[in-house]
Amino acid sequence: MPRRKSTSRRVQRRKDVQHGPGGVSGDAFRCVGCRLPVPLAAPGTAHRNHCPHCLVSRHVDGRTPGDRASSCGARMSAVGLYARPDGEWLLVHECAGCGALKVNRVAGDDNALALVRIAVRPLADPRPARRALRTL
Amino acid sequence: MSDTFTCIRCGLVVVTLTAEETRRNHCPSCLSSVHTVDHVEGGPTDCHGRMAPLAIAVRSDGSWALVHRCTRCRELALHPTASDDNQLILMRLAVRPLAEPPFPLDVFATL
Repeated sequence: MPRRKSTSRRVQRRKDVQHGPGGVSGDAFRCVGCRLPVPLAAPGTAHRNHCPHCLVSRHVDGRTPGDRASSCGARMSAVGLYARPDGEWLLVHECAGCGALKVNRVAGDDNALALVRIAVRPLADPRPARRALRTL
Repeated sequence: MSDTFTCIRCGLVVVTLTAEETRRNHCPSCLSSVHTVDHVEGGPTDCHGRMAPLAIAVRSDGSWALVHRCTRCRELALHPTASDDNQLILMRLAVRPLAEPPFPLDVFATL
């Protein structure tokens, strides 16, 4: 499906963070959810922060993405999805340890079934849909 | 702590206590909130920007929570929804990713 390209896009931040063990630069990281090795090279994004198989991320950054300022280190699971006006999906992650929230653009090789599961999860409960229909 | 607040976006005067005896942080009509709490380091912040509703997050018990993003400093916040929140805006936020999928969804019909 062709993407609508917007001209007023904020430029992407330069990537210079360390991914390997002990602060060395690596070309892969291990997912804290499913323990699969995840290569950093991803189609469609230069800022991969979550596993493409189970969408689990890890809380290492503070206020700015890539600053490695957080000492939490707990696992972050995907809780929600947001569609940008140009049609790109953003994953909302919540830290299991401290409750911090992060958004990250989905990559081209992210598991489509896992993404759609996150997208339809709000509709699994029929009560909010019934309340919305009553207000019409 | 006052019992009412005025919505920064639509000007509605909102009672802070909901029908479920919980405190609300966003306007039930337009779901906007004000950035007063620093969610990264804790404590108050002097940003006071408008926090716009971004997405619906589902808690482990199946209830909905609203993800807000500050329009000024882009910080994120999570707060549970109340029963008298604007259901049309909530439903619009919930179905918006499915209305604009980045990949064709008809492959899931054959699964």
